[in-house]
Amino acid sequence: MRTLVSNSGWSELPPVPDMARIQCGRSHCQIEGTYVPVIDFTLAGGDHVYFGHHELLWMEPAISVKAMSMRGAWTRMRAGLPVVMSIATGPGRIAFSKDLPGEVIALPLDAGNAVDVREHVFLVATGQVGYDYTESGIWFVTGQGNDAKTHYPLGRFLDRFSAGSEPGLLILHAHGNAFVRTLAPGESICVKPTALLYKDPSVGMHLHLEYPSGTLRGWSTRLQNRYVWLTMKGPGRVAVQSAYEHFEDPREAITRFSGTRHAW
Amino acid sequence: MDTLQRIVCDWCKGQNPTDRRTCTTCGAPLEADHLVSDSGWREAPRLRDMTEFAFGISTCQVEGEIVPVAELSLGAGDHVYFEHHVMLWKEPAVRMSVMPNNGWLRRSLAGMPHVISVAHGPGRVALSRDATGEMVVLPLHPTMELDVREHAFLAASHQLRYSFVRIKGLSNMRANGMFMDRFVTAGEPGLLLLHGNGNVLERTLKEGEEILIEPGGFLYKDSAVRMQTERLPIRTGFLSSGMRMARMTGPGRVGIQSMYVHRHTG
Repeated sequence: MRTLVSNSGWSELPPVPDMARIQCGRSHCQIEGTYVPVIDFTLAGGDHVYFGHHELLWMEPAISVKAMSMRGAWTRMRAGLPVVMSIATGPGRIAFSKDLPGEVIALPLDAGNAVDVREHVFLVATGQVGYDYTESGIWFVTGQGNDAKTHYPLGRFLDRFSAGSEPGLLILHAHGNAFVRTLAPGESICVKPTALLYKDPSVGMHLHLEYPSGTLRGWSTRLQNRYVWLTMKGPGRVAVQSAYEHFEDPREAITRFSGTRHAW
Repeated sequence: MDTLQRIVCDWCKGQNPTDRRTCTTCGAPLEADHLVSDSGWREAPRLRDMTEFAFGISTCQVEGEIVPVAELSLGAGDHVYFEHHVMLWKEPAVRMSVMPNNGWLRRSLAGMPHVISVAHGPGRVALSRDATGEMVVLPLHPTMELDVREHAFLAASHQLRYSFVRIKGLSNMRANGMFMDRFVTAGEPGLLLLHGNGNVLERTLKEGEEILIEPGGFLYKDSAVRMQTERLPIRTGFLSSGMRMARMTGPGRVGIQSMYVHRHTG
């Protein structure tokens, strides 16, 4: 199969053929369907996977399921993230799917490698992959004093998945189609914050506010046009999805923010 | 050509002449391999765009593949019923009536249509749901009974008797459970059209075989399959006491959809 690359350097993730099998250690998974693919894991005895409870589709009664302890449950709940994740241990079969049409991305992580993933993109990971989350650092504040409100265009947190001494498998779900691009050192690109799927930890990012020419500056901020971007800076991979949620710009004056701005 | 030779459809077991590319009873491609996973789930047949099949003295053509439309050409005297919001267009000549239901207040409160609409032939009427997914064509033979999750049924031919039950507690989306539609054939075969969100997979459970399904993923089952609510020891939030699953016990078919909607989860 040939990888399709656009003139601008974005590679389409090769579509996973229906019923494709992926081996991960003694266990394997099969990807079923093409609109909203299902990941059907056959877990060997003692092998485990973890997932957010929303993603569980079906399981055999023999599978043992328990909650995975996580730090900062209260903070996560306030940020709209799952408070608990679940661990399923084999032997047996268990299947997962998201509730959006799109593509499944299977990311094998070699020992010692890590990847940063935007919230709500993660589907399931094998037990060899470690999980943590960090502040995204992408924010801006509108209003002052008691009226100050912090906005997080990318979400407050980023998920970080890393393989320790053994390789592991990370499965993500993209809404729509997924595209990946490898940025050279120092190369930059602006992407819509909600379109980001994942990036290598080596890729830097910051918020970028752009004010196009021709807007009524100095008038009400509600009449001003501005674009909220995420500037990604290489080296490393960046992946985006083609269907993304619309970020609701509050249309109020920004009093503080974490990145750069440019007015044309 | 041997006129006695027939191709049996893998999906509905209907018999077809050897020159057919799609099943005359359910529209499934006859020469395509049916995809079955290692765990025994088989994908519902992907209906080709503009596939046509017959039921009674009427026909159905399936149009589109992302959100398929069922265009029914009803013969004189034939009629089909459906929830009114699935109607896409119809010819003016198609007469409409409603099928009253018991328990309309409970259905209304639960967000279900309290009446079922009926379209009478002759004429054409087209139906579609509002989500990406697959159309599942289920020809039902006499004495068959099928249970279908709420808001999944697209249309049923008049030969099928319709009723519904409320399943308490079987929901991770709403605490008050879900409705389940029941379709029963009387003396004649009938046709049931469903819409599954995302991809649709079916598995036949053996006598006593069990599987746990997320209630939002459940699409249909033979009425012989027993369904019980079960709570998993997974907390879904600070105040939740566990995640509900549907324990299905064979014998019979179970259908699931891969895209389900969670509206109010922890």
